[in-house]
Amino acid sequence: MPYVVRRPDRNLWEQSYVPETVRGLAVTLRHFFRNVLGRRDTVTLLYPEQRRPYPPRFRGVHRLTQRDDGAPRCTACMCCQTACPAECIHIVAGEYPADHPLAHVEKYPAEFWIDELRCVSCGLCVEACPCDAIRMDTGLHPRPVEARPHLMYERNLLLSISDTAGSVFTANPRKK
Amino acid sequence: MPKLTIDGREIEVAAGTTVIAAARDLGIEIPHFCWHPELSVAANCRMCLVEIEKQPKLQPSCQLPAADGMVVHTDTPRVREARRAMMEYLLLNHPVDCPICDQAGECKLQDYYQLYDLKASRLWSEEGKVRKRKRTVFGPHVVYDAERCVMCTRCVRFCAEIAKDPVLIEVHRGDHSEIAVAPGRTLDHAYSLMTAHVCPVGALTSRDFRFQCRVWFLSSTPTICPGCATGCNALLDHRRGEAFRLRPRDNPALNRGWLCDDGVLAFRLHNDHRLTTPELGRGEEARPASWDEALAEAAALLGKLPKAQRAAVLSAEHSCEENWALCVFAREALGVERFFVAGRAAGEADELLRHADKNPNRAGVRLMLGAEPEPLEKLVEEATAGSLRGVVALGAAAATTGPAAATGLLRLEALVSLAPRRGPLPEAAHVRLPCPSFAEAAGTYVNARGQPQEFPRAMPPRGEALEVPELLARLARRLDLTLPFRSTADVRAAVMPRLPQPAAGGGAP
Ligand code: SF4
Ligand code: SF4
Ligand code: SF4
Ligand code: FES
Repeated sequence: MPYVVRRPDRNLWEQSYVPETVRGLAVTLRHFFRNVLGRRDTVTLLYPEQRRPYPPRFRGVHRLTQRDDGAPRCTACMCCQTACPAECIHIVAGEYPADHPLAHVEKYPAEFWIDELRCVSCGLCVEACPCDAIRMDTGLHPRPVEARPHLMYERNLLLSISDTAGSVFTANPRKK
Repeated sequence: MPKLTIDGREIEVAAGTTVIAAARDLGIEIPHFCWHPELSVAANCRMCLVEIEKQPKLQPSCQLPAADGMVVHTDTPRVREARRAMMEYLLLNHPVDCPICDQAGECKLQDYYQLYDLKASRLWSEEGKVRKRKRTVFGPHVVYDAERCVMCTRCVRFCAEIAKDPVLIEVHRGDHSEIAVAPGRTLDHAYSLMTAHVCPVGALTSRDFRFQCRVWFLSSTPTICPGCATGCNALLDHRRGEAFRLRPRDNPALNRGWLCDDGVLAFRLHNDHRLTTPELGRGEEARPASWDEALAEAAALLGKLPKAQRAAVLSAEHSCEENWALCVFAREALGVERFFVAGRAAGEADELLRHADKNPNRAGVRLMLGAEPEPLEKLVEEATAGSLRGVVALGAAAATTGPAAATGLLRLEALVSLAPRRGPLPEAAHVRLPCPSFAEAAGTYVNARGQPQEFPRAMPPRGEALEVPELLARLARRLDLTLPFRSTADVRAAVMPRLPQPAAGGGAP
């Protein structure tokens, strides 16, 4: 189907470009001198020296929550691994031996890896977890690193990260 | 022959057929826990209640014989309410520990909850629930969790009726009833993993599969159990090139939906001790090599010996296709006239499934060769005597192990081994050429009853392994010969006419 492309409706003043360009430059320069010489109202920040507070639901890097005794709450059910659309979670389940203090828990994550480079920060893993064992309430960005493997976050690292208030425990203790 | 109507559809069934079986024939699934087509009827779970016209009460369809003129409704509000009530009852004391339960994803409690219940429990207090034994080891392969058990007694009936070893019993009463192993016994008969298989919930689970993989990550491919000459029909569950378990596949004429423990665990043949690159040299001198190097070495070693001193070893572990390709290669490229057969050592047999021959395809080897191959012991003898010097061998297992066999094989001047995994034959070889496991190439086994059964390939060969026909075609080219095939598909076309026609009702999947 042929389209009719309408010519833009411009008068000679606009069509000649130069006056309009000068007008644009004038706006830029006005802002420049006002901020350099007069009061400052820039919208940019000098990151990382200056930071804006994040909203409370900001999804930062993951953490694995701890039980009161320091063991992982995670039971290696793999619900997060199943839900993750980026396929960046890898878990190897282990079994507590019968004489272990946590023998009644039976299952735990012997290995737990999150590839923070692949993660798309969707938060589906947090939604999927039936144990509130994985959370993204750390307020942190993944740290810049020199090699990709350094962004494979491992179980004990994930367990050691705390939330913004400094707690390594769950925010939803199980109702008794 | 009673004729009845189920949900408006008529069906005529043999006298004595139950309503649930008749419905299944129509493709109508009535939910059930305790009923199993191969076991006696217990009618204790009441999940299968249906409405029968002119009968005031709902009836358990697993126990009710079909009668002439019966009009059955399986999906009325009354039936649905009964199912919902049954589910609430079954879940009353259930621990709901799906996160740590291996059955999650293939659990009837989960499925039926989604289909018929979807209500929150009215007993949501942990103190209110009856607590029972968790993680109780029942035997070498099976672990029991009493809190998850719905007391359907399928496992008890399986042990008594099918395995003929009544080792499981019911103990206690009411809320406190659970399954136990008979005093002084463990659940250690040859079919113990089938109790975990018939358990509709996560009460009995496999210790081998425990926590290895969530079932929803697994892909299933129909296969034939490589564990023995019975050739039970099975499903191979695998993920990313690794096998996790075999499950029985229904074949009423052969294994009736069962597998023995060795069969379930036969998936290990795929995982363990794999050869993934060509290798040269024996023992200390072994080293990986490229295909070019390995094929050149194999051709040079075999080519320089006189025809009469060459032989081929076929494998009762491998498919008809692979054995036929080796027969053709050995005859045409090497002029071999002596054929031997290797395989795993014989083992226990019983009336139900297990065959003493622990190789799936001995009958197939015979058919492909067109004659009876000689036993491997004979090869060892002649190698020791020095009358046979060059051998091309398929398969890893050699039933004749021990020092005499090993030294006999070491006397060979050229042993070229085509094997999926390490074992006595490849260990004694000068050249090891990796080939696919039972799961990595399509094929046909002929079982001890003479039934040919085809199976598809579940995944591509691991590492650098090449399918046997392709591998042999390449090796033949090194010996300046072009074989009449290049792939498994070519070979299958040649093998088909040599196989007996499958018996009606059984055989091919
Ligand atoms: S936030 Fe999303 S992408 Fe990242 S690990 Fe969780 S589920 Fe995967
Ligand atoms: S973090 Fe939660 S969802 Fe993921 S495996 Fe552990 S318990 Fe399951
Ligand atoms: S262990 Fe499983 S099969 Fe046996 S009674 Fe309990 S639920 Fe049924
Ligand atoms: S299946 Fe009929 S009562 Fe259990």
